[in-house]
Amino acid sequence: MARKKGVTKTIVRYLLLIVISIWTLAPVTWMVSLSFKGPTEWYAPNLIPIRPIIDNYISLFIPTSPIGGSYFFTSITEPITKPLINSLIAAGLGTLFAVLVGFLAAYGVSRYRAGGTFVIFFTLLTRMLPGATFVAPLMVFYSSIRFIDTYAGLIMLYTAVTLTYAIWLMKGFLDEIPPEWEEAALLEGASPWTVLRKITIPLTKGGLAASALFIFILNWSEFLFALVISVTQVTTLPVQISKYVSAVGRMYGTEASLGLIATIPSVTLGYLIQKHLVTGFTFGRIR
Amino acid sequence: MPKLVVKNLRKVFGTFEAVKDVNFHVEEEETLCLLGPSGCGKTTTLRIIAGLEVPTSGEVFLDGVLVNDVPPQKRQIGLVFQDYAIFPHLSVFENIAYGLRVRKIPEAQMRKKVNDTAALIEVENILDVPGKKLGLSEMQRVAIGRSIVLDPKLLLLDEPLSNIDAKARERMRAELGKLQKEIGIATVYVTHDQLEAMTLADRIAVMRDGLIEQMGTTSEIYDNPRNLFVANFIGSPSMNLMDCEPVYSEGRVVLKSGDFSLDITEFAETIKSKSKGKELVLGIRPEDVSLDVDKTDPKAMEAEVQLVEPIGAKSIYHLKISGPAILSKDRAMPEVNVGNKVWATFNKNKLHVFDKKTEEAIL
Repeated sequence: MARKKGVTKTIVRYLLLIVISIWTLAPVTWMVSLSFKGPTEWYAPNLIPIRPIIDNYISLFIPTSPIGGSYFFTSITEPITKPLINSLIAAGLGTLFAVLVGFLAAYGVSRYRAGGTFVIFFTLLTRMLPGATFVAPLMVFYSSIRFIDTYAGLIMLYTAVTLTYAIWLMKGFLDEIPPEWEEAALLEGASPWTVLRKITIPLTKGGLAASALFIFILNWSEFLFALVISVTQVTTLPVQISKYVSAVGRMYGTEASLGLIATIPSVTLGYLIQKHLVTGFTFGRIR
Repeated sequence: MPKLVVKNLRKVFGTFEAVKDVNFHVEEEETLCLLGPSGCGKTTTLRIIAGLEVPTSGEVFLDGVLVNDVPPQKRQIGLVFQDYAIFPHLSVFENIAYGLRVRKIPEAQMRKKVNDTAALIEVENILDVPGKKLGLSEMQRVAIGRSIVLDPKLLLLDEPLSNIDAKARERMRAELGKLQKEIGIATVYVTHDQLEAMTLADRIAVMRDGLIEQMGTTSEIYDNPRNLFVANFIGSPSMNLMDCEPVYSEGRVVLKSGDFSLDITEFAETIKSKSKGKELVLGIRPEDVSLDVDKTDPKAMEAEVQLVEPIGAKSIYHLKISGPAILSKDRAMPEVNVGNKVWATFNKNKLHVFDKKTEEAIL
């Protein structure tokens, strides 16, 4: 009886995993298939390309090259290297600052109840309005301080927008760490900064890594603000993808190939910090 | 000069007064135990001494120097936490070495100190084990080692045995006592377990609601509890306490509680002069109530046995003596069973009488 129950449980678990895998992997599979298809197959339902080509990828780097023999005319003149670098800079530095500032804020809130309950709640309030509400005032403000189409503008915005998540996520992880460890180190003669560096950060690194990855993915895939702030200099990958429109319609294959390239950094990062993510996402019960 | 002096300590959290007015001192090599139920302010007092909490008012002197404004990292106090707080990401060696590394002690000297301490607390063969893999007894020893390796002026222990099951606790209490003798530093030990307090402390301070109710050696507190709270809190099984009234007639004084009565003429003067009201509480420890199958003592009272708890050479008898329920702890008597009649004698020299209103001891 008990064994039968165990078998049923295993079957249900695997079924669930299969469904989730299909749900996550189906769009990715389609994207891979599409990226190797020529224009004649973009609308076709076949998963395996009849005549697989790599022209989509070539056109990302040489915008004027033909795809499957036909030429497409778009507004794009430069290879994707620049948007790729822009995205890395904006999302990377935005994440770095959000994590740095967010960690210190979360530490203050978690350990010293800094700002009482109001400040921490206020940070949530800023996320209760849709981003689009900020676009107009932001444009006015940014143009007056000449932040339009600059890295500084994009990085500052990304930091500000994701700071709330950084604070709340990391506060959760910090709350999990009993303060006795820090107090013990204090009594051993360590200064508060040493305690932070040698005890708190090593103990929360799983949570820090998980928070950083989460924020990086948010920044990496951000579209709206990047679209309004960038003109020519700081176009990011999501904005770049939207530009593959020719006179005869959207270039699905090219978009798919760039989309696939765009997933590489997040997937790589996730893979690298996999070990920490497990402790991070299970809210690291280390005790 | 006392190692530690605590003067008029008070700590308020919001509207809650955790510590009201606490005064005590600890001598060189002495162990003082703060004993009391949870919420009595003992841990808060300890944390103030360590510098982890700032007192609302009052002073803490270490070696005669006022340390109120000295941050914890500069006080040179060792603290063993209730959960031990062993750094999980560091090995036993690094846990013990932590304070020495922070102080940048030269490597060779540092290694020697850590190894000496490890030998003292008997953890030499687990030095490479990471903190998160330690058992409770090992954690306890490492926590003590970590606090003493820096030669602190004072050692604080916050309920170090409370998370351990009863059997292991007995062994670890003994280990701790042995270790304490070997180390010989002034110690403040916080616990709610009277047995721990009695076995480990030179002096005990019984606390309740942010105040010290009584302070003294184990026997002082056990034999002469100053009030009802201390009388009730110390001792296992606890003291028999019964409400009663003094009745004066024909030059004799009898304490009456329903049909139960006890002649206390010899203490009449003291009771008369010290009691404020007519309501008294009579107290007697179970071991001061002796039992006999036959009436050998003319003053013995007839009692009915309601329950017998054998605890080895002795037994605890739950009795009913014409009304009040009384516990007696006396030699094991296999012939005495539930429902039997026995004869109970109170040891008059060990009687306690309290004023019910003020709760203070009269006798």
